[in-house]
Parts: sequence; structure tokens; C-alpha cells
Amino acid sequence: MPRWLKANGLSIAFGVIFIASLVGQAISGHTDFNHDQHIHHGDPISLWHYVTSAVFWVDVMENWQSEYLQFTLYIFVTVWLLQQGSNESKPPGDEGPETDEQQLLGKHTKAESPGWAKAGGLRTRIYSNSLLLVMGTIWLLSWFAQSVTGRVIFNAEQLDHQSSPVSWATYITTSDFWNRTLQNWQSEFLAVGSMAILTVYLRQRGSPESKPVGSPHSTTGAEG
Amino acid sequence: MRSVAVVFVVYLVMIVAGLAYAITLGLQGH
Repeated sequence: MPRWLKANGLSIAFGVIFIASLVGQAISGHTDFNHDQHIHHGDPISLWHYVTSAVFWVDVMENWQSEYLQFTLYIFVTVWLLQQGSNESKPPGDEGPETDEQQLLGKHTKAESPGWAKAGGLRTRIYSNSLLLVMGTIWLLSWFAQSVTGRVIFNAEQLDHQSSPVSWATYITTSDFWNRTLQNWQSEFLAVGSMAILTVYLRQRGSPESKPVGSPHSTTGAEG
Repeated sequence: MRSVAVVFVVYLVMIVAGLAYAITLGLQGH
């Protein structure tokens, strides 16, 4: 295996199955859409037309936003909240942003520390929260993308049934928007909560997502 | 680390492209 592939195995493997799933979603979604058109005596559309339509993209975006919300929230909440015995939690006493010594900041920076970590002032403050800022921005933009593409579909259905189209501000108060949103959120929150509590008593040998197999149930955090 | 930086950029480009396309599509009303 080439060195670059071994060094990036995790990101590349997930990137590949992401693309494969997206292609699968496009093909099955297109077939499903045309089946619906057929039973409602409508005209079928091409695969290209389908993947460049809001019908396809609203489904993509509603799933993106919930995933990025999940990670944004998890990154933020785990700074402050603990779960005793969990691999996903810091040990008791470490709540909050931690000391400069723990975070290798100020006089504790190393020669290889990132430039913005060594810079101090505003740059270090921004860099100290950069993961949360970027994940949060992606969440908000994908949620906005879900709202604008969702509105296109909603209004097309309104017109089909001789009803008036709605503005964006109205659409985001509709049950259609919140049903799409919350059906994704609930599953993310359950999965995250499960990871927090199941890693207290269950193990996966070799995974950094688990405590070492012989680690006591009471040990909190990977380094706890 | 060079290949890691390439993968980092590829991910960001992929995410930004998806978001930009979906937002454009939604705002244009297609």
C-alpha cells in the first residue's frame, strides 16, 4: 500500500463510501421519483434532471445538516458536560476550556505548534475554537440549503394543488420544514447519547472510540 | 503531511461545492 494511502486511510475510505452512497441515493431516488410520476400520470425525468433538481438536493441537505449539528453540538457540549465512565467524556475536574498548560498555549507552546496557536491574542482565540466554528458554519449553511430547496418542492406541490406558493420566512414555520429537520435530529441525538453511555460498559478492542478492553467501567475518558 | 493537507483541502472543496450548489439551486427556485 502506498504511504500516502496508509496515512489517509480513514478519510479516503469514508470519502469513497460517501460518493458511492450519494450515487446510490441518486439512482434509487430517481427510480422512486419516476415511479411516483408514473402512478400520478406524470412524465418521467432523466437522471441528470433529477440530480440537478431541488428534489434530490433537499434530501442530501437535510441529512448533512443533522450530521454537522450532531458534531457541532458534541464538540461544544463535551467541553462542559461529563459522562462518568465514558470514553467520550473528559475526566471529572476537567470541565471547561482547560488550562494553557493542558492546551499547550502561551509559554507551553512547542516549536511545532501551529502558527496561530503561538501567535496569541485574537488569532489564538479564533484558532482555539476553529473546529467548532467551521463545523457550526457548515451546519447552518446546510440547514439553510435544506430550507431553500425544501421551499422549492413545497411550492411546486402547492401549485399542483391550486394553492399559493409561500415565502421563505413562511416555509421555515411549516410542518414540512420541521418534519424534515426533526426526523433527522432525533436519530443523531439518540446515536450520540448511545455512544456516550454505551462506551462506559462496552468495548471494541483496537478502536480509539473505545476504552482499552481491560479498563475499569469507572475510568472516564481515553486517558483517564 | 503533504498528502494529509491534500485530503483536508479535497474534503473542504467537496463540502463547499455541495453547499454552494444546493443554495444556488434553492434560491433560483429549480
